[in-house]
Amino acid sequence: MAGVWVLGENREQLFELLSIGRSLADKYGTTLAAFAFQDTQAARDCIARGADRAVVLKYRGQEGPLDVFMPTIVEEVKGKDPDMLLIASTYRLKELAARIAERLKAGLCSDCIKLVFNEEEKSVEMERLMYGGSAVQKVVCLSRPAMATIPPGTFEKAEAGSGPGKEGDVDEIVQTNEPAVTMLERKVREREAKDIREARTVICVGRGFEKKEDIKLAEELATVLRGEIAGTRPVTEELHWLPESLCIGLSGIQVRPDLYIGLGVSGQIQHVTGLRDAKVICAVNRDANAPIFGVSDLGIVGDLYDVVPKLVDELKKGF
Amino acid sequence: MLDIVVCFKWVVDEAFIRRTSSGDLDFSSVDYKISEYDRNAIEAAVRLREEYGGSVTAVIVGAPEAAKGVKDALSRGPDRAVFAEDPLFRDLDPSQTASVLGQVISSKTPFHLIICGEGSGDVYSQQTGPRLAEFLGIPCAAYVQRLTVKEEKVMADRKVEGFIEVDILPLPALVTVLPDIATPRIPGVKDTLMASKKAVIKVGKNELTAVPPPLLKTQSLKAARVERECEKFTAEAEGIKRFVAALQKRGVLK
Ligand SMILES: Cc1cc2nc3c(=O)[nH]c(=O)nc-3n(C[C@H](O)[C@H](O)[C@H](O)COP(=O)(O)OP(=O)(O)OC[C@H]3O[C@@H](n4cnc5c(N)ncnc54)[C@H](O)[C@@H]3O)c2cc1C
Repeated sequence: MAGVWVLGENREQLFELLSIGRSLADKYGTTLAAFAFQDTQAARDCIARGADRAVVLKYRGQEGPLDVFMPTIVEEVKGKDPDMLLIASTYRLKELAARIAERLKAGLCSDCIKLVFNEEEKSVEMERLMYGGSAVQKVVCLSRPAMATIPPGTFEKAEAGSGPGKEGDVDEIVQTNEPAVTMLERKVREREAKDIREARTVICVGRGFEKKEDIKLAEELATVLRGEIAGTRPVTEELHWLPESLCIGLSGIQVRPDLYIGLGVSGQIQHVTGLRDAKVICAVNRDANAPIFGVSDLGIVGDLYDVVPKLVDELKKGF
Repeated sequence: MLDIVVCFKWVVDEAFIRRTSSGDLDFSSVDYKISEYDRNAIEAAVRLREEYGGSVTAVIVGAPEAAKGVKDALSRGPDRAVFAEDPLFRDLDPSQTASVLGQVISSKTPFHLIICGEGSGDVYSQQTGPRLAEFLGIPCAAYVQRLTVKEEKVMADRKVEGFIEVDILPLPALVTVLPDIATPRIPGVKDTLMASKKAVIKVGKNELTAVPPPLLKTQSLKAARVERECEKFTAEAEGIKRFVAALQKRGVLK
């Protein structure tokens, strides 16, 4: 047996993986299987969107850490011998993928952003970022199965074909073993922010801000430009001045606005890699040698506490 | 009492990597550093020891030049270091690193808890911690933001999309931590002096059962740095005016 298998936490992730999964399965000349957690309907919809087989992994009782499914997935792989596993790069699945890979002694390409089938070798060449985003590394897995985690949003979702929908059975696999780790609770994060990945204008708050209250300066600029606020990793994930989901960069989100303005942002590569596709990049930084100026189109050298209010006034005049 | 192992990596400081005109990477003027978030992991380990008593052992797998990193790590508070050293250890894939770490830890240092950074500053594949847990056959929680230890158990707040999952892990266990777990200290002169007096246990390749073959092969590595021609403006009224005009010209003011 063989196959390309996809594994995702939710429908969107599964559908995205199905589109790249389908094209690789066709090239391998094999079948495509989708694995969902708990959600039988999502698994069923995967069949309509191109999967030949769908499996739903179910908890025996209450939901808990996803790693209870690890032995089950490892057994499935050993029994059915797939060519490749494609897994959504979410926090939980990145961990699960690494542990599955270790059990199987399989190579795993983390945060893979491009997959190309090599006809001669019958292998998949995978690309990922390295050195904080300053390099592209191309790897192949020397194992069977080959494994990759793929960031959500990397591929378009597979669509349901027109005409009569494809039908198929969903196999249900119930958790077999006792969990080593137990879940005490799920806490809702204090502040959830809206999704800014598609925002046209992004104002980014960097560590150049002295305190949380000062972010209102950035907000004033965002208001005149009708833009959204974002932050660097120190400001979001370390100081928690802004919600974590607003972190732009390697460990956060990718944005592709028409206009990005970084205020007090140094422009380290791990951050800048998240703006690669922005049309116009601007920076305000008091250090004329800050790396952000090397990746910007327009820059103001100055103290943001002085520049931002002036900029807001000037922009107000223009409208 | 809590015996903690903290793993760290000695990596290229990516800020010094240049790009040649042909798009290759130029490492000729690079410097090295303890991988960013491993410093936070070390700090977290040291603070747990301060709170619960016990010991902290810092473990590294690296090439001989990583000796500088061992000293740096020890100046940040661990009691001792274990250094698995071989020129071959400069370029291991995550499965190999996990195997070497696993062999060294199980033979050299009893532990209750292993702490790893979420991912390394150079490769950032975020695999080594979870693979190491699997290699040792112990429970694991990744992307942890808060840790509390109680009666042979550790409570970990781990980051998940949309919420925080609070997990209970029986010890021994492994966690990988996010940067907000603890802000690293800046070692002083005294810390550096103390560091040179601490024990460093070296482990050579021949003391290991085996170093497994790699599971990933790098076919190519190319520069990807985005560079733009920056037009700079001053913070004077005139500069700001010209900046706004430039924005207008580029059609990004709507
Ligand atoms: C594996 C890894 C992953 C990472 N992922 C990310 C990521 O996803 N996103 C991210 O952002 N970072 C990430 N980082 C961190 C990254 O390397 C940088 O540390 C971070 O981006 C720096 O944030 P900053 O620019 O806000 O702060 P700093 O680097 O501290 O820069 C502050 C800047 O503000 C300027 N400044 C100070 N005061 C003023 C003032 N009054 N007026 C004007 N300018 C002022 C300073 O000149 C300086 O340039 C990652 C790092 C690693 C190792």
